Amino acid sequence: MIVALCLVMAFADPRFFRLQNLMIILQDASIFMVLAMGMTLVITGRGIDLSVGSVAALSAVIMAMLIKDAGVNVFLGMAVAILVGITCGLVNGFVVTKLRVPDLIATLSTDLVFRGFALVLAAGVVLSRFPDPLTWIGRGRIFETIPIAAVIGVIVIAVGFVLYRYTPLGRYAVAIGGNTEAAVLTGIDVHRHKIYQYMLLGGLAGLAGILLTGRLNAIQATAGMGLTLHTIAAVVVGGTSLFGGRGSMTGTLVGVLLLSMVVNALVMLRLDFFWQQVAAGLIIISSVAFYAALQDPGRGGLSGLFRRARGGRS
Amino acid sequence: MNQPSPSVRSDAPLLEMHSISKHFGGVMAVADVSLHLNAGEALAIVGDNGAGKSTLIKVLTGVHELDEGEIRMEGRPVSITNKRQSRQIGIEAVYQDLGLVDSLDAAGNVFLGHELKHRFLGLTFLDNARMATEAARVLKEQVGIELEDIHVATHHLSGGQRQAVAIARAIYATDLKILVMDEPTAALGAEETRNTLMLMQNLKQQGIALIVISHNLDHVFRIADRIMVMRSGRAVATLDRSTATKQDVLAHIVDAVETEAA
Ligand SMILES: Nc1ncnc2c1ncn2[C@@H]1O[C@H](COP(=O)(O)OP(=O)(O)O)[C@@H](O)[C@H]1O
Ligand SMILES: [Mg+2]
Repeated sequence: MIVALCLVMAFADPRFFRLQNLMIILQDASIFMVLAMGMTLVITGRGIDLSVGSVAALSAVIMAMLIKDAGVNVFLGMAVAILVGITCGLVNGFVVTKLRVPDLIATLSTDLVFRGFALVLAAGVVLSRFPDPLTWIGRGRIFETIPIAAVIGVIVIAVGFVLYRYTPLGRYAVAIGGNTEAAVLTGIDVHRHKIYQYMLLGGLAGLAGILLTGRLNAIQATAGMGLTLHTIAAVVVGGTSLFGGRGSMTGTLVGVLLLSMVVNALVMLRLDFFWQQVAAGLIIISSVAFYAALQDPGRGGLSGLFRRARGGRS
Repeated sequence: MNQPSPSVRSDAPLLEMHSISKHFGGVMAVADVSLHLNAGEALAIVGDNGAGKSTLIKVLTGVHELDEGEIRMEGRPVSITNKRQSRQIGIEAVYQDLGLVDSLDAAGNVFLGHELKHRFLGLTFLDNARMATEAARVLKEQVGIELEDIHVATHHLSGGQRQAVAIARAIYATDLKILVMDEPTAALGAEETRNTLMLMQNLKQQGIALIVISHNLDHVFRIADRIMVMRSGRAVATLDRSTATKQDVLAHIVDAVETEAA
């Protein structure tokens, strides 16, 4: 799919391939890399988190107020942002497991709660002009080329890859998402591990809030509204099953890059902003529907689709 | 030194079920059934549909709680109120739906919840390589099956291979003493059925006891030491394989036993 998109763009506009533009794509993708890593684990565990955008905003607003209004050290402020994110994740995990509210409803509601807190705290103010370390992380470049945020994003995904394959956190996400009853029977503490998954994603949403603030050198309570859907779309486009039990970190990286390229291409083609929105939405729906169809267990997955396609032609 | 409790006998069978009853509403699914089982022994339970076979073993595996009766392991009374308790005392069931995590490979399933780990840079990681070798070893030496590719997701394995993985997990993870199998060969092809029957012989030789529900009397006579016939929730006969014939068993199943006098 990436190949197809590249071919189309090569004809449509050669500027797409300039180093400059590729770095902009990476820069845009970095926040989604961070969020999508945690989201991959949560979705693999047959969960979903619709609150990540608000968690990012709340973490960022609290950090910004500490730094700007309370004169707190910028590094301490960033640490607090991540802690706020982890706490929000803990809340999500608690609501999902101990209160037994389905993931979708739970995080849809906490999304409102976290956003509400951010709005109350910021009281309509845009906080801007932050110390160097923060903007360096958000918009800095190594050798004036490679975005630092993208380096962070790739490192996060790499860590996610290790977590997924080589730690109980990832293994149990697969088990819980794939066969919850089997997981319970073998003695896996399902609640505890679901809470861990949400906490990890929360902490990453805090990090995303830092990147967001640093990139814009400004933050307001309404920031990050579109992050959640875009993140979920990237994860699913990357091949992680919405039905749980099957995920892929490398796929997620590909999904993030693909979606960022699509958005970038739409901008390059100078589509009117509103049409960009429409196109982005449609692409997300069609990719997700495409993969959902492929992953439908009853249809035998990807090979099943090929078999059907071959059968249809012969 | 603990004084042995008077109710515990050292020569007790591995498993005893005494006067077990279980009803669902007005239906007496299992009525006053008793059985015993020794290590390395295979007991077959046969009977018509609805005779209460599945309900009886579900009481043992913690799916249903018994209404009346007593279960003893090695002479000690045990209470089994859920599946985990049953597993913890060494009883494992392999159902048609095998409780595997489809997207994990054989090793991932065999070691689920008991993963082997190693330390690296002060952190703990799953030791996937060692789990793969160990799983392959258990599958080969104890279950008697060799997978072409140990790393393939169990979702891609055949029914018999999946069953083998489930059994390997039972052997490895839970100090398996009793394996309960409800229609283990029903969904399998000829070759796989042969493998499964061989596998059951293997387990017996390792001292693992089997309780097998089956409609196939050929299979029953090949692996069972004793055959318990159930009808309408009751155990109507327990026959010794060495002395009974298939006709005897069938007669008990359909309630057409001729009296001694006839
Ligand atoms: N969960 C249940 N709820 C109500 N009735 C049940 C349940 N399970 C089994 N029964 C009834 O108990 C009886 C014995 O069923 P079962 O143990 O499944 O027999 P078998 O396995 O020998 O075919 C049947 O009459 C069946 O309808
Ligand atoms: Mg049955």
